[in-house]
Amino acid sequence: MQFIKTDSVVGEIFHFQQQHWHLLPQRAIFWEEEKTLIVSDMHLGKAAHFRKAGIAVPAGIEQEDLFRLQQLITRYLPQRIIIVGDMFHSTENNDVQYFRVWRQQFANIFINLVKGNHDIMPDEVYEQLQIQVNTTLTISGIHFIHEPCEDHNGFQYTFSGHFHPAFVMQGAGKQRLRLPCFYFGPHCGILPAFGHFTGSATLDPAADDPVFVIAGKSIIRAQ
Amino acid sequence: MQQHTGGWKVIHQWLEGNEFKPFKFQEDAWKAYLQGKSGIVNAPTGFGKTFSLFLGVLIAWIDAHPKEYTRKTKNGLQLLWITPLRALAKDIARAMEAVLKELNIPWQVGIRSGDTSLAARAAQKKQMPEILLITPESLHLLLAQKEYPNLFKHLHTVVVDEWHELIGSKRGVMVELGLSRLKGLRKEQLKVWGISATIGNLDEALEVLLGPYHNDGLIIRAKLKKNIALKSVIPHEIENYPWAGHLGIKMLPQALPVIHDSQTTLIFTNTRSQSEIWYQALLKEDPMLAGALALHHGSIDMELRIWVEEALHNGILKAVVCTASLDLGVDFRPVDSVIQVGSPKGVARFLQRAGRSGHQPGAVSKIFFLPTHALELVEAAALKAAMEEELIESRMPVLLAYDVLLQYLMTLAVSDGFHAAEIWEEVRQTFCYQHITEDEWLWLLSFLTTGGEALGSYDEFRKVEREGDFFICRSRMMAMRHRLHIGTIVSDAMLKVKFMTGGYIGVIEESFISRLQPGDSFTLAGRNLEFTLIKDMTVLVRKSNSKRSIVPSYQGGRIPLSSNLGRMLRQKFNEALSGKSRDPELIALQPLFQLQESLSHIPKDNELLIEKINTKDGYHLFVYPFEGRLVHEVMAALLAYRLSLIQPITFSIAMNDYGFELLSDQPIPLTQENAKQLFTTDNLLIELQTSVNATEMARRKFRDIAVIAGLIFQGYPGKHKANRHLQSSASLLFNVFKDYDPQNLLLKQAFNEAFFYQMEEARLRETLERIAVSKIVITTPQRLTPFCFPIKVDSLRDTMTSEKLEDRIKKLITTND
Repeated sequence: MQFIKTDSVVGEIFHFQQQHWHLLPQRAIFWEEEKTLIVSDMHLGKAAHFRKAGIAVPAGIEQEDLFRLQQLITRYLPQRIIIVGDMFHSTENNDVQYFRVWRQQFANIFINLVKGNHDIMPDEVYEQLQIQVNTTLTISGIHFIHEPCEDHNGFQYTFSGHFHPAFVMQGAGKQRLRLPCFYFGPHCGILPAFGHFTGSATLDPAADDPVFVIAGKSIIRAQ
Repeated sequence: MQQHTGGWKVIHQWLEGNEFKPFKFQEDAWKAYLQGKSGIVNAPTGFGKTFSLFLGVLIAWIDAHPKEYTRKTKNGLQLLWITPLRALAKDIARAMEAVLKELNIPWQVGIRSGDTSLAARAAQKKQMPEILLITPESLHLLLAQKEYPNLFKHLHTVVVDEWHELIGSKRGVMVELGLSRLKGLRKEQLKVWGISATIGNLDEALEVLLGPYHNDGLIIRAKLKKNIALKSVIPHEIENYPWAGHLGIKMLPQALPVIHDSQTTLIFTNTRSQSEIWYQALLKEDPMLAGALALHHGSIDMELRIWVEEALHNGILKAVVCTASLDLGVDFRPVDSVIQVGSPKGVARFLQRAGRSGHQPGAVSKIFFLPTHALELVEAAALKAAMEEELIESRMPVLLAYDVLLQYLMTLAVSDGFHAAEIWEEVRQTFCYQHITEDEWLWLLSFLTTGGEALGSYDEFRKVEREGDFFICRSRMMAMRHRLHIGTIVSDAMLKVKFMTGGYIGVIEESFISRLQPGDSFTLAGRNLEFTLIKDMTVLVRKSNSKRSIVPSYQGGRIPLSSNLGRMLRQKFNEALSGKSRDPELIALQPLFQLQESLSHIPKDNELLIEKINTKDGYHLFVYPFEGRLVHEVMAALLAYRLSLIQPITFSIAMNDYGFELLSDQPIPLTQENAKQLFTTDNLLIELQTSVNATEMARRKFRDIAVIAGLIFQGYPGKHKANRHLQSSASLLFNVFKDYDPQNLLLKQAFNEAFFYQMEEARLRETLERIAVSKIVITTPQRLTPFCFPIKVDSLRDTMTSEKLEDRIKKLITTND
């Protein structure tokens, strides 16, 4: 099967820590050397959780999120997916069942979940879904942990989520834009939230930390 | 004849015994009431409008029970008295109880509001008092109780007090829906009366109260006029560059003599933050006021507010700094002066506030207008003229508020459940929902039962169950949550503020507190407080000795200029220009006008002034239609959009009540030649929808809607944490609805509200039509003018763009480098 890169979606290849990181506007990173797709804060089942409680947010958000992940998988053919925490939003609900069906399409792909504060389902559930759960994960010197670390933790570099980072850009004429972003701090990088039914927090990075914003269908380096 | 009935005689004797002589409108109201009619009594405050209906009810009661009216007890609820403010209820109850006692009628008067104790509620459920004073929210809470129809078995009269205050809001819709249910229960036996101050559309107010299909409603007008003396406090020194940033504090020394010369003064400010600042500044300026000065606004602890109100009654306060929280009609007899700080932005509001002083019939109401910046003096002159011509604003009733209807249907679902066909008939008879379609109704029902579009077997939406035509909520959890939720028509999440050691201070917007770091100081209820932490929806603080503290800015404090006042304002600028004006306000402003004229121009009645100015910030375009902030916001977006069709360009937009500004990093392509075309009414609706702002405005409107419709779960008191997984922001919900469920009626409502309330589409059209026949004057001043200065430094901002997102960002980056 042949995959043609569509010109409507443009990623950015960031050469960093001697590795190639494809920063993707679908709110994910493809790690070229390890053939690994990295996402964070999917919050699957959040809408279903709300609906179960009688709060009528639109159904189908999770399906769209998983469809986006599916497109990334067919495009980059990863061997592994790392989810840097908060994969499911809450306790088990029918969206988990939906995921189970979805998972069967890609049974050969290894899924690592780095446990986040929302990942509270019993271990058996993850086992059934063929998801390997760890509190942290280290691959080729790159460390993954849900909550960003403040100080250097001894690893070559760390990736986190949890924060749902957004970046505010300002310019002449008092213009202002707030966009989800990838952030690369001195020791720790933060991924944008993958799920669409998630809020975001404004980041206040040091002036020389690389920040890439997601601007519609492209990735732009903001600083 | 009616006059000879026993009841009428009893009441007359009582009045004579107290040396009261009824006003003609009161007797007219009694007559109409005794004939079984419904309607509205229109009278200014301070003339006994309460008695015009209350005594009517008593006359009818005595007539019906001439022998035993002094003995008959436990009669069940006879009169339901709906009032917008809890504080009013207490006052009215007191007055009613005094009358009942003197007449030997053993009726109970009860109050039902958020403050009513559990014990009192239980007692009421067992035996309803004959008269119940209630807020619109508490009425809905009664409808959320099991077997609620029993409570209303004997009800024959509903009075809606201060109807003018309710009619333009969603609380008014709550009243309409509540009435529709009561009418459904009591049919023809129910008489409905409103009490209203004068508004521009009193006839419509009657339609809204009784429903569009009523046929015997009437309006009883008291032909009484309140004497109002308006005096402007003219600054000793007129600044040429007026700036509202200091909130009138500079004028404070000139307010002190008014306070000293009066018995009690109410100082009205337009926002809660401004009232906090004034309170602090007054104490600093005159420490002798300590103990005799109080603060009153909607975020202050209820008990403290009640204390302030009591103290006002007793005359132990010299002055109270307040906001709209004291607008409404409680009688504070000791108050003999009112100071209005900054423009009240509307004639009706100004009259209302003026009426807070000299409350005795016939007394003169004294009100002092204290401008926060020099240009506001023109508004004072305009107010004076508008009052003389009795140009009082209309209150536009709310139409098709789907959010309130959803809340109401849920209310009925958690009590006894409802039959859709019956409720549909009742709802369609209301003014608000007279044009609701059957499709919309079915959508609302399915939104409650299946959560909108259901997605087959995976969906677990649960709220209301459907059994044929019958809808009921059987989940106790959900019922409890709904009851807690009724009446939360607060847009921003409010957090309680408490001392670490205990002791409740008031409430504060979450958005404000989220910007603070622990250790920061802020002001609330006149105290300096140090923010420590947030726990369980409560902000914990300790006393602060910090000299510098932040004053919270509250949303919703900004009221736009009404169109009546805008028109007067343009007339006054015209007069100022002629140099013939006798208004002291305009004479004082002559130096400022001269500077404006020499730098730029003062627009005449038939002119629209546009100023193009370049500064280091970029290229500014200032336009002055004098139509109020809301209209300007939309006009600015529209003009920005039309300009952006000429070339790719990004604007930042700012506005105040006099005009608006477009600011860009490139020259703005507006010329004498294309100006008229840029303000045309052609394609208005389509272009408004296309302009980015429609979405942003709808997003802002959606916040309220989401809360009212029950989409935002605010948590149980003290149980905040356990439900964190159900928290989401209105903005996020708006995004997901827009992306995943664009047909959602609540989303549609948000856009409608944005168009008709926020954008004031009709008024915008009128303004554009006026501009079409006006002369457009474009000037290019070398520096900022007195007119543009307040817009530049003191206004809200927004963005409008036709550039691609990617291009904008690239540009932002280059300018930042």
